[in-house]
Amino acid sequence: MKGKAMRAFRNLLFILIAALAPFYGHAQTTATEPHLTVQLVVPPAQIYPGQHFTAGLFFKLAPGWHVYWINAGDSGEPPDIQWKLPTGIAAGPMQFPAPQRLPLGPLMDFGYENQVLFPIPISVASGFKPSGSTTTLGGKVTWIVCSNVCIPGKATLSVDRPALSSPPATPGTIAADQRLIDQFRSTLPQPLPPSDRARFQATSAGFALTVKTGQREHSAQFFPLDQNILANAAPQPVQPFGNGVKLTLTKDQNLATTPRQLSGVLVLSNGRAYQIHATPGALALAAAGSSSTGLLRILLLAFVGGIILNLMPCVFPVLFLKGLALVQSSSEERRTIRLHGLVYTLGIVVSFWIVVGILLALRAAGHNFGWGFQFQSPLFLVLLTLLLFFLGLSLAGQFEIGLSITRAGSGLAAKQGYTGSFFTGVLAVVVATPCTAPFMGAAIGYALTASAVTSIAVFTAVALGLAAPYLLLAFNPAWTRLLPRPGAWMEILKQAVSIPIFGTVIWLVWVFNQTAAAGSLVFLLTAFLLLAIAGWILGRWPAKLPATLAAVLVVTAAVAVPVWAIHTLAPTNASRAQDAVWQPFSPELVAKYRAEGKPVFLDFTASWCLSCQVNERIVLDRPDVQNALKSSGVQLVRADWTRHSKTIADTLASLGRDGIPTYALYPANPNDPPRLLPEVLTPGIVIRALHQLKSGASSAVNSGF
Amino acid sequence: MIRRIALSLIFAVTLPAFAARVGKPAPAFTGRDSHGHMHSLSEYRGKYVVLEWSNKDCPYTRAQYNSGNMQALQKEWTAKGVVWLTILSSAPGLQGYMTAAEENAWIKNIHASPTAAILDPTGTIGLTYGAKTTPHMFIINPQGTLIYDGAIDDRPTTDPSVVHSSHNYVSAALSEAMAGKSVAKDYTRPYGCSVKYASERSSLH
Repeated sequence: MKGKAMRAFRNLLFILIAALAPFYGHAQTTATEPHLTVQLVVPPAQIYPGQHFTAGLFFKLAPGWHVYWINAGDSGEPPDIQWKLPTGIAAGPMQFPAPQRLPLGPLMDFGYENQVLFPIPISVASGFKPSGSTTTLGGKVTWIVCSNVCIPGKATLSVDRPALSSPPATPGTIAADQRLIDQFRSTLPQPLPPSDRARFQATSAGFALTVKTGQREHSAQFFPLDQNILANAAPQPVQPFGNGVKLTLTKDQNLATTPRQLSGVLVLSNGRAYQIHATPGALALAAAGSSSTGLLRILLLAFVGGIILNLMPCVFPVLFLKGLALVQSSSEERRTIRLHGLVYTLGIVVSFWIVVGILLALRAAGHNFGWGFQFQSPLFLVLLTLLLFFLGLSLAGQFEIGLSITRAGSGLAAKQGYTGSFFTGVLAVVVATPCTAPFMGAAIGYALTASAVTSIAVFTAVALGLAAPYLLLAFNPAWTRLLPRPGAWMEILKQAVSIPIFGTVIWLVWVFNQTAAAGSLVFLLTAFLLLAIAGWILGRWPAKLPATLAAVLVVTAAVAVPVWAIHTLAPTNASRAQDAVWQPFSPELVAKYRAEGKPVFLDFTASWCLSCQVNERIVLDRPDVQNALKSSGVQLVRADWTRHSKTIADTLASLGRDGIPTYALYPANPNDPPRLLPEVLTPGIVIRALHQLKSGASSAVNSGF
Repeated sequence: MIRRIALSLIFAVTLPAFAARVGKPAPAFTGRDSHGHMHSLSEYRGKYVVLEWSNKDCPYTRAQYNSGNMQALQKEWTAKGVVWLTILSSAPGLQGYMTAAEENAWIKNIHASPTAAILDPTGTIGLTYGAKTTPHMFIINPQGTLIYDGAIDDRPTTDPSVVHSSHNYVSAALSEAMAGKSVAKDYTRPYGCSVKYASERSSLH
């Protein structure tokens, strides 16, 4: 009985509200409701026959609240308007700007935060007869606004405009309304230009969507128009191409049949958005160089980067070695010198192919290692450090390589003949690896995200660049003649070369100390002592079998001691001391600041990255730069990649990069994409970027209201 | 915390294998109801089972209950031998989380009559089924096969007055299945509020 009475009362209430609604909503253009304000935007100052214009529904949302795209994703519903229009005036369907992904725990919604304007085309019939001096355009707007919870809302909005029976001589506009429409025009997805195309192919887990846009795309998100096609929350790995992009989409697990068309919106960098109607098939994008200008530029950059590698501190000692070898070859025949140059080049190219092969295999296995990852391995560091130290001892004159021991490593590199040239090339590559010179980062990033063929082409270009200076000398006898004649100075030069070698050893020891477990350092230094003993044995009793065997034993011990230490001592988790101003990186931290509308400066660094250290010491730590960073309100976050971290590798990949240094500046508006700064920083670059960030942000606010 | 991370990892790895798919065996689950009784899907072999994801403060769920529609469905189908399990996957502290006592009081107050209301504050059952919204409905046939996954009806609304004019997918699917026919619409987009899972839970895909 009680329930019945309640229901009757409720029904009465509904009728009352329904009856009252048209009255109290009358001629209200803006409604302020919980967590949002909604405004009906009608730019024309008069309404007259034959008129076509764009009206709009403008939502301003409280921070943390969102309304939905036409496909709301896993939950929610798009806003709607039910028009009440005079005879002769018709409204077209509401248009939806490009949405953003809104993760909610394990779910994914598609919608809008902050502000959004939904344009609506309105047309006035040529036979429109105004019933009075003004006409009212309006309707009932319904929406659901959500943060963690959802609140449904509705408002009756309308605007009054003077009505004319014929078009006026000078049609007027309401400036504020027109400005809003114009301001949000660019947020609408555009039709894909006729020259561009979109295709999709079914895979076992979903779809491979390829879109040709005519330019290199490093970020892309696809929003499906149809519901129940894709697993909304699944990540969409992006593979950039020279003239487009390929996305890997995961299908809805209940999807039984492949759709005939994949429709939706593709959102690219800088807020560009396209309507996509992909048909089955695949597009040959400029991976292997069909539109090869992008690839050619990358190959040229890679080649130049390779040349510059010759000048990097970690290659410089090897360059000395090469020069030394060339001096020794000066008396040989021209043909032999050329062959040596070619064999050296071959050594470099083969090493790069091996490295790219491993990288591609790792990439295929899903491991997102970055260039220089070997320097994150203490084991690799130990072996390289010991090799260089032993080589240094030999160069300094403690013993002669080639008289006895090993055929591997430094022995091979310093060996005469073609084998020596080949392994000098190999050594150059091994030492050059971490020196991601300014051009290299982009090239490697490109290579690792592109197809295998492109990767190999880019790595080959780097290899040829690295080999070029020596090859040039080998092929230019005239230049060879400029080199001094062989003589006693060669021994002095050889000994002098040991000095940069020992310098490199110091640097590697420092890196090792940052990477390996605390307390491992003493074992590495002990290994140096053992190597010194081995070198002494070899130098004291040259070419004697028992002495050589003893030396081999001691060298084995020298390698075993630090390797044992690495494996035994548990690695410490304490990362290197973070500056007070720099917060340690986590994707959640960046997401949090972005959600709060705070700009973020993200510094990717590692102790083995020399360029990173230089940038930090010389630019970022400067008082004026520090002041500029502080006053701009930018949150300083540092991602320390000294030890391998998949999270950091993933974040780098999402920025289209594979190596460091990388500096990303995230604007305050979470919808704007991050901006990458150059790898070589100057105070001017940083301060200018901060300034642009500030002016960009304030101009957006100004134009907003 | 570690247990949470471990659980998330387990879900990340196992979810695709367990996730509910129409036409496939429905994933097994065990849950405790608001009276402290345990329910396993396996014990209902031989009966139709309806799973209803619920959050009493979600406006879409409220439209169903305030219109009386959900209670009527529960009454109608449980009378025909269907097992109706209302499932609450809201995490503690989030909207729709209920203690057993609160849920019992609410059921009494709103005149709901599910077979049982299962409390799933860890979201385990919800993530196993891939429940996205409240309401999100699943139907399992007597052979244990999932025969419906989706919305309760064809009119996503928070307005109780339009609920009765909608086409109810759950009633349609149960009627067809009981008549020996195949379910015409066995998969629809569930509409409603997102299920309020604990935010550190793994993704649904």
